[in-house]
Amino acid sequence: MTDHNNSQNSQKNTGHDAKVGGSGSPALLHFFGRRWRAVWNGNPPGLILLLAGLFVALIMSVPIIYVAWRSLFAGADSWLRLLDGRIPALLWNTASLTIAVTVLAIAIGVSLAWIVVRTDLPGRRAWQWLMALPLVIPPYVGAVTYIIVFGPSGWARDWWEAVPFLGDYALNIYSFWGVFLVLTLFTYPYVFLIVSASLRRMNRNYEEVARSQGYSTAKVFWKVNLPFLRPAIGAGAILISLYVLSDFGAIAMLRYVTFTAAIYFQRASFDTASASVLSLVLILLTMVILWIEVRTRKKNKFYQTSNSYREPDTLKLGKWKPLALVYVSTVFVFSVALPIGVLVYWTYIGFEQHVIDSRFFGFAWNSLKVSALAAVASMILALPVIYLKSRYPSMISTGIDKLSYAGYALPGVIVALGMVFIFNTHIPAFYNTYYLIILAFVVRFLPQAMQAGEASLSLVSPRIDEAARSLGYPPWKVMIKVILPSIMPGVFAGGALVFVSSIKELPATLMLRPPGFDTLAVRVYYEASEAIYYQAAPGALLIVLVSLIPLRYLLKKY
Amino acid sequence: MKKYTKLFSLPVLALGLLAAGCGADDEGGETADNGADTDTDTEEQDDTDEEAAELDGELVVYSARNEQFVQALLDKFEDETGVEVRALHGADPLQLVEEQANVQADVFISNDIGGLEYLNQEGLLEGGDYENADSIEEQYRADNNEWIALSTRARGFIYNKDMVSEDEVPSSMEDLFDEEWADVPNGYAITRGGNGGMIGNVSALRYEWGDERTQEWVEAIRDNAAGIFEGHGDIRRAVGAGEHAFGLVNNYYYHQQLEEPNDNNVGFVYADQGEGEMGAIANAAGVSKVSGGPNSENADAFMEWVLEEENQLAFVGESLEVPINPELEPPFEDAVRVTELNFQDMPLHELGNYFEDTTRLIEDAGLDLDLR
Repeated sequence: MTDHNNSQNSQKNTGHDAKVGGSGSPALLHFFGRRWRAVWNGNPPGLILLLAGLFVALIMSVPIIYVAWRSLFAGADSWLRLLDGRIPALLWNTASLTIAVTVLAIAIGVSLAWIVVRTDLPGRRAWQWLMALPLVIPPYVGAVTYIIVFGPSGWARDWWEAVPFLGDYALNIYSFWGVFLVLTLFTYPYVFLIVSASLRRMNRNYEEVARSQGYSTAKVFWKVNLPFLRPAIGAGAILISLYVLSDFGAIAMLRYVTFTAAIYFQRASFDTASASVLSLVLILLTMVILWIEVRTRKKNKFYQTSNSYREPDTLKLGKWKPLALVYVSTVFVFSVALPIGVLVYWTYIGFEQHVIDSRFFGFAWNSLKVSALAAVASMILALPVIYLKSRYPSMISTGIDKLSYAGYALPGVIVALGMVFIFNTHIPAFYNTYYLIILAFVVRFLPQAMQAGEASLSLVSPRIDEAARSLGYPPWKVMIKVILPSIMPGVFAGGALVFVSSIKELPATLMLRPPGFDTLAVRVYYEASEAIYYQAAPGALLIVLVSLIPLRYLLKKY
Repeated sequence: MKKYTKLFSLPVLALGLLAAGCGADDEGGETADNGADTDTDTEEQDDTDEEAAELDGELVVYSARNEQFVQALLDKFEDETGVEVRALHGADPLQLVEEQANVQADVFISNDIGGLEYLNQEGLLEGGDYENADSIEEQYRADNNEWIALSTRARGFIYNKDMVSEDEVPSSMEDLFDEEWADVPNGYAITRGGNGGMIGNVSALRYEWGDERTQEWVEAIRDNAAGIFEGHGDIRRAVGAGEHAFGLVNNYYYHQQLEEPNDNNVGFVYADQGEGEMGAIANAAGVSKVSGGPNSENADAFMEWVLEEENQLAFVGESLEVPINPELEPPFEDAVRVTELNFQDMPLHELGNYFEDTTRLIEDAGLDLDLR
């Protein structure tokens, strides 16, 4: 079939020469052949490439479909019990936290972006990337440092009690407010980065019109800037709310229970029916958020006119300068300096206690191994999906693309739950091997590799593909021999992103690790929950340092 | 395009290391290799021990006990026999049930006899005729040694002496029905309902009181406790630091807290010791051989090995529990011997009959997921 279809560059081909298959009813086959070509706009991609794409889509979506399927067979009993007792409380916990974190993160992110991009803040170049730094600290690591400092026996208690008239130590990190604060501090950079980029592209003309009508700076911000920023804010808000829904580590460490944590604990006590019921509710919750995103995107379309573009001017802070500086520094201290300082301090103590031994390197090696293999696998698997999407657009390639995002949007616990089900019952040979962890990483992070690859691929002209096809290469061969070499940098950037996300990943690793195979993230989680901070800190610091690698890419991207 | 080269070098570097690692297996990587190539290096490294000569390969251990107590024991076994131990800490007995068609573990170590006996009743454990099994009284073993308990503990209340005195702490499980205990300074602490020790505790109460009253009790402590923690280690640290006045734990956590360099002004009340009261709720920690595990011979060797007196003490290890073998001296000061306490008259293996429904009862009472 592959060779019959190599009628490249024939958008107006009506399909008369499509000799699909050999025997059978020619008329019927003819009909299907024509339909097939119509789906692909007369340019079908060839069997091998298509199968590769479908294979990826299958891997990416099967664990989730399986969880949903299992939940339907959990029995009316489980459903009723959970709907009655558990779900309302979890829904409240989860929704209130998600909304609160998203709102505050937007407030912090937008205000910081505006101050850093639009005003004459001293050192604004440096602040632009300093403010994005919290992104490299996984929230569960941030949570550990906050427990060390603000926990009931933390450093802050000693300071508090040293002040005579303050009375008993009143901060409770193990509360809604603790989780809320920690998650906000380590997620606001998503909004900050996206909004900064938007602000930098904003056309000065609109503001000047507003000003000429007598608007004050504050009014310009609310009436002109903010509406333009709405798409950017929305995109950041989606990222943050999806993150809060999926976070396990920070939430569990701070003793708060959301859907994700509940699913993890149900799974840990092997109440599989309840775990899958809760998972389905969480899947629905995620879909609601994604739906809101699609809706708002459609409703709000703002256009920048590019022909009269002028760079926005820098506003003078004047008497507000000290205040702005204090604000920016405060956020920096609490979201970067404090956690890193705590980690460095405890790493030093750990170093003196000789915890950086062969065992530690064993864990680091495990982390490196699964993350590197996941990165390589993602680079390979992303290729057919993005190639199909960009060169052979159709319903089918869009579907494959969308399915590939399933694991990215959904929490890691659900991905892991599905894989446990499938492998334990159907593919026992791979059950309890580290290959499962790698697979889970791929399912969770493939879209990062896809996005990076797509960015590169969009710069390569389709004319090159056409030339190669006309010389007789089938589509899959064009992809590998001709296109791949020219998009290599993007593919590798994607691999690096997957690598870093994998190193940080906690819940799926916890649920899927085989006996005797702990990674750094697992050790950090375990040791921190046992309050052995000098053992937890070196691993956590290493994870943070590795996460610095793709920061430059992220800063460029937005 | 140059900016990408840095990003790109990392996975490549990692791959290079990976390739190198597959060839020459590093000594530190006892955890790194995953059965794919069974380790022949370790076998050569080990030097003495006659029994070691026959053993190689690996042993997969699932453990529900705190990693801090178990890892040293497993390292000792690995050193002395050359068998590579792959441990999964924090395992739940139900994982063995789920994997019964695809058995992964050779040995299961637990700190809840209820879980062990439950697995035994499900036919997932395998008995054996071990040389030194007689050193453990029969009531602490399953009929055919499917599981053997090695150390024991009793439930009670650890309290902070700076905050409350002994008579301001409850003296029985029944006391906790009373709301007044919510009003002690900073309240009191319990573990999450999914904790093995808590499950054993609730099972014992069901044996004593029946389900209805027990569920009321679980609901009462859920309502009145100020802290609900993941594990008992959190409780002893919190009580020691004065975050809560007292907490419901096993006795050995008290001994552990005594050994801390600071925050160690704590006391302990064994519950239900009075005239006519039910006696302290006991539980034990033990080992079992999983039926049909991938390394059956090594599992046998491990069972024999751990029953050697020296290793029975190693099993107790840093937990500061009391060894069950009466010949053995507890490895720490002021241990309360099993014989000195008034225990609940329930045979420990009864816990197995309660295991399954207890988790359900805890779930119904809503304690299974709470953390605060």
